[in-house]
Amino acid sequence: MRVGTTSYTNTMLDEFSLLKQQQLNLQNQVATGLRVQAPSDDPGAMETTLDDLSSQATQQQYSSNISTVQAQANSIYSVLQSLQTISTRAGEIATSAGSSTSSQADLNNYASEVTSLIQEAAQVVNTQDPATGQYLFGGTNSGQPPFTVATDGSGNVTGVTYNGNTSVNQTAVAPGVTVAADVPGANTTGSGAHGLITDSRTGADLFNHLIALQNDLKSGNTSAISGADGKNLQKDQDNLTYQVAYNGNVQTRLNTASTQATSQSNSLTSQISNASGADLVQTMTELTKTQTAYQAALQSSASIMQLSILNFLP
Amino acid sequence: MQAQMTGVEVSGQNLANVNTTGYTRQTVDIQTSPDLSTVIGPEGTGANVTAIQQAVNTLLNIQIQTQQSAGGYWNAQQSALQNAQTSLGEFLNGTASTSSSTTGNSTTDTGLSGQLTSLFNAFQAVATSPASVSARQELINQAQTLASTFNQVDSQINATRTTLNTSLNNDVNSANTLLSGIADLNKQISAAEFSGGTPNDLLDEREKDLENLSQLTNIQTSTGTNGAVDVSIGGQSLVSGSQVLDTMQTYDAGGGQLLVQTKTGGVNLTLTGGSIQGTIDARDGELATMQKNINTLASTLITQVNVVHSGGYSLTGTTGANFFNGSDASTITVNQSLADNPSLIQASGTSTATGDNSVALQLANLASVAQSGLNNQTFGNSFDETVAGLGDALQTANNQASNQAAVSNMLTTQRSSTSGVNIDEEMTNLMGFQRAYEASAQLVNTVNQMMQTVIALKT
Repeated sequence: MRVGTTSYTNTMLDEFSLLKQQQLNLQNQVATGLRVQAPSDDPGAMETTLDDLSSQATQQQYSSNISTVQAQANSIYSVLQSLQTISTRAGEIATSAGSSTSSQADLNNYASEVTSLIQEAAQVVNTQDPATGQYLFGGTNSGQPPFTVATDGSGNVTGVTYNGNTSVNQTAVAPGVTVAADVPGANTTGSGAHGLITDSRTGADLFNHLIALQNDLKSGNTSAISGADGKNLQKDQDNLTYQVAYNGNVQTRLNTASTQATSQSNSLTSQISNASGADLVQTMTELTKTQTAYQAALQSSASIMQLSILNFLP
Repeated sequence: MQAQMTGVEVSGQNLANVNTTGYTRQTVDIQTSPDLSTVIGPEGTGANVTAIQQAVNTLLNIQIQTQQSAGGYWNAQQSALQNAQTSLGEFLNGTASTSSSTTGNSTTDTGLSGQLTSLFNAFQAVATSPASVSARQELINQAQTLASTFNQVDSQINATRTTLNTSLNNDVNSANTLLSGIADLNKQISAAEFSGGTPNDLLDEREKDLENLSQLTNIQTSTGTNGAVDVSIGGQSLVSGSQVLDTMQTYDAGGGQLLVQTKTGGVNLTLTGGSIQGTIDARDGELATMQKNINTLASTLITQVNVVHSGGYSLTGTTGANFFNGSDASTITVNQSLADNPSLIQASGTSTATGDNSVALQLANLASVAQSGLNNQTFGNSFDETVAGLGDALQTANNQASNQAAVSNMLTTQRSSTSGVNIDEEMTNLMGFQRAYEASAQLVNTVNQMMQTVIALKT
């Protein structure tokens, strides 16, 4: 077949251009570590990668949510420990004071101590979340102190009022999974989250039981102290034990969710890399091969182009 | 000698035009001159040049014209869709780092996909800490970034549309110029052929014009009188002999569509092939689809977010406010009163408890809700599918353009084997004509010496 002079040079130029373009693409893959950068590089892989990036960002958000709720759960646990100490001491006072050997002076001392315990408990249950300033035990009515204490002229506590509600916020920790660490201060509805201080299901009513104990001590009603007061305080202790177990359960669920979120995120990194990442070793090999082919094409073209009949004419 | 001299001139012409695009090599047709009758029988009178012909393959030229149309179409699609991909702004960024046996990289995406996710994650953060001012401010930031990106993408798509329409107008003007050029060449070629001879250079020029026109749109040609070529486009005859019967112009077909019609006749042209139709198909096909999808995404997002948000309560107990203003991608903005005071974001589900997060949680969960207005897909999946659709179209255009280029190269190489100049061949021919000229000159010299001998006999 006849070969025109320009068709030969044009073909060579096209081949050089193609090899240069291939080198450029491979070099770009090496520098970015990405096989796919634009939708047209591989539409299917691009769609998969965008979905995976979105899922990964969401997993990271879940991790952040979990950290926030874990901090809340830890704050709640500290309060539970303090309340358990208060409740246990109140129970000891009821046991000691209920025995016939205590004098009224002893009972008055016990009454003062119970008054202090009530005020200490009221302070503890009005704890705020250090991160947001919101009150921990007011349910979702968290902008104001959940408990207010009323006292008489002598400093005795006459009543404690709950200002919150019984709702708690759910927090997303995984797709379709929520956790509530919050505990309302009181719940007398019989459903929903158990109240911390007052709960109709368990019969707990810590403040009123402590006030009753305070008043029975002041009036010397030892039969009530050893009878109803003791039994009621036991209900309060059982309720707090329930709350500690619930808190423990929440923390366990949060730890599991945290592990899952991290694991999912790592798995997605691997998926993203498989879909759109460049295998460095393979890419470098291809780049080397292409560079070699380019050099060979340049060299052979240079030597062939120099040959023509003009070299041999006198 | 004159015949050989003509051969030398033709070889010289070929050598001079070895690199001229569209040049068809010429060959000299030398034949034996008519015999003279003599008493001893017919006697030869030498040779003369009967014609200087082009080595042309007409069928191949027509194939190349068709190929140019296909190539022009896919190149225009490729260019338009690359602009569309840039307008969309959805790319992956990464920096390679080696870790163990596979590449570890931190891949991020630059566009709407990541920002949609960030919006819903910001709703999550507010749901986790409803009273947190910083979480609310971050939500406003993410929402404003998203709205701004929607505005930008829509604006860039419109700019691409305008660029394509400008390109369309330019192509139509170029086509008209070529039609006029072809008619003019027809006139010159007809005049030359009428007076005898073949105007090879004019034929080359006309062929180049026809191929350039084919790149712009598919044409139908037919041979007219005296070597003229008549040209039709879209079934309408535009050039007949030396007359331009009509030209093309663009017109507004409504809905932002700029299409092509004949200027005088006002006939709407259905074009096939060529960069004009390639541009139109990209503009009214994939680019329009992409813009429509993005507008639907924005309007659905605005509606669904507002429905949930407006029923919620802010930290101050207010209700009824929209989260987004606007109706589509070009107009979407964040409600300025919320931006000025993030406490007014309505995250609570009840007026009596400002710490409630149920509305914020519902807003966050919108990310995983299948939207009936988006073919029952989530916001993220719907957008990712739009991205993949564009990617598919551009990948197809890239592959087709590449294939057409390969076919075009093959046809051009084939044509070059018939019509292209080969330096070695021309030099060899040149030497042949030179030797023959020298031989003829030597004959003249010999006859001259013989004549002198005869004259010397008298003296």
